[in-house]
Amino acid sequence: MVDKNYHDLVVKLSLQVESFQEGFGILAKSSSLRELAQNFNHILRGSLLVIDSSLYFLNKGNKEWKKLYGKEIDTEEINEFHNQKLNFDIVFTDHKNYKAAVSIPLLNGSHFLLFLGAKLDKSKYNDTDRILIQIFTQLLDNSYQALINNQKEKNLVFELNNRVLQLNSLIDTGIEISKLQELENLFNLALERAVTITDASFGLLCIESNVSGKQVFVFPEGLNSGAIDDVEYSISTELLYQERKYTFRLANKESRNGYVDFDQTDRMLLDAFARQVLAAVENQHLHKEAIEKENIKRELSVAAEIQDRIIPKTLPIIEGYELAGTNLSSKEVGGDYYDCKHLNDGRIALIIADVAGKGVPASLLVSTLNATLNAYLEMDIPLPDLAKKINTVVYKSSPSDKFITFFIALLTPKTGELDMVNAGHNPILIRKKNGELDKVEAGGVAFGMFDMGLPFEGQKRIFEKGERILLYTDGIPEAMNENEEEYSDERLEKFMTDRFSESAEEFMSALISDVKSFTKETPQSDDITALFIERK
Amino acid sequence: MSSEFNLKSEQRDNCIVVETTGYINNIGGQKLVEEFSKHHNEGNKNFVFNLAQSKIVNSIGISFLIEVIEKLNDTGGKLIFSNLDPTIDKTFNIMGLFQYAQKADDVESALKSF
Repeated sequence: MVDKNYHDLVVKLSLQVESFQEGFGILAKSSSLRELAQNFNHILRGSLLVIDSSLYFLNKGNKEWKKLYGKEIDTEEINEFHNQKLNFDIVFTDHKNYKAAVSIPLLNGSHFLLFLGAKLDKSKYNDTDRILIQIFTQLLDNSYQALINNQKEKNLVFELNNRVLQLNSLIDTGIEISKLQELENLFNLALERAVTITDASFGLLCIESNVSGKQVFVFPEGLNSGAIDDVEYSISTELLYQERKYTFRLANKESRNGYVDFDQTDRMLLDAFARQVLAAVENQHLHKEAIEKENIKRELSVAAEIQDRIIPKTLPIIEGYELAGTNLSSKEVGGDYYDCKHLNDGRIALIIADVAGKGVPASLLVSTLNATLNAYLEMDIPLPDLAKKINTVVYKSSPSDKFITFFIALLTPKTGELDMVNAGHNPILIRKKNGELDKVEAGGVAFGMFDMGLPFEGQKRIFEKGERILLYTDGIPEAMNENEEEYSDERLEKFMTDRFSESAEEFMSALISDVKSFTKETPQSDDITALFIERK
Repeated sequence: MSSEFNLKSEQRDNCIVVETTGYINNIGGQKLVEEFSKHHNEGNKNFVFNLAQSKIVNSIGISFLIEVIEKLNDTGGKLIFSNLDPTIDKTFNIMGLFQYAQKADDVESALKSF
């Protein structure tokens, strides 16, 4: 008898092998637990011919059973059965709601419970059914493992792709922000990328400085920056650059099951984004500096060219007089100017001037002064009137912070008659033959300061034989040494008093040497300009 | 571009065209799947997602899009993304979305592909 049952079972199973394989193929393709359960129900009922079937699932770590399909079964009944049957087991019963119950523990700690109703032909469950149920539940178990593995594989592929995406975004963002000129756009783009690539809900960039105060950028836009203080999860990083503190903060990492904490990768990404932003800010700063330096260099070159055209290359030869002049430009080209020229009436004009400021603006003003002076000198008008006219021109053609200190002397070579005006310039030093020093002080304000018709007071005197005159700019008395001490008016006056035997050229050369020996290695901060004349 | 997510959909021939605006993140992704499911459950199998006004997406948003693609693949449907911003295009490419979904320059081109 046993042999016959065994034989019948073998025959039945042999006939069903193909359908088992087909069933597994269907179950293994399920993309979700619910789909797996539905497919299992169809296959099981088609093979066992039962009235109804119910499948319950307990996820590992959970306490609540989830019905995947079938009838509602009392939770207490389920728990009672589950507690008795922790291992795989098939129980045939006369329960009012089901006639067979199967406990199916799973490898990952989860659990299925299968409840089967009566068979359609009203017969009781037998050993053949037990084996069939065992085979089908094994298929369910295997398919469940396949589903879990499939999901794990998908998650793994997704995670790997996401890592590639994160790295790619980091590289792309670095390139993109380095091209942005506006810092505001740069900050917004970097913040947006940091938020999206870490799945943060929102982010904030706060830039704090004692000078410019606090600036806050947020993403998504329109968000209240205070909201970030009340979040459950956040990460931040701080960087300092040029006395500004950059704080990057991300909040509430999204997941499909609510907010979660950020991981180590997110922290690394945030740090990397922050460093990229700082690098871009630093690059912009250096780029601006380089452009400014280039502009200054170009400006100085133009200024030097202008000054070079105006300063006389050679001085005129005047019978009975000896002249020497010098103009040593500092690194920043300034607005010093001197000239010595014959006028149509035979007189000689000795001029020295100093424009406040440096660079092209100062050079252009010197150019204006030179052109205006040349025009008026040919008109033979009294020096105080000439000074007034030049003042008006300079006032109208210069900005409010620019002015020119100016001295002019008209010398009649034969008589030594000197006609002079000093418009706010350093005193002109005249060393008399007896060694005393006269000073021609200012007889009016510098050109370009006011245009209110203020008078310029002229001075006249005779330039006696043996007398020496020095016109100079403040670059000489204000030349500084490494202790920030000035060469000084006193030292210049003493030099002028003591040195009287050399030729004009020798005197000028000795004066420059004296100034240089005083300043030593200290860089020259202003132009040094002087015109020296001696009546033999 | 606003980051707040919105969408609208319309039937065009035998196809549902869903037009999104804003950030496709957890919230955006959920709304997109809800809208898709509504039409899918009514028997619609052809979809165009016009993302012209969505320039930003995160990985959670992408996971919802993959869910849509998988459902359509299981039921013999088809999804075409259109009007993709270059950044989104690159993102989808890296995340493998174009292995199972297509892309088109605009909605009209997408509709011709069905």
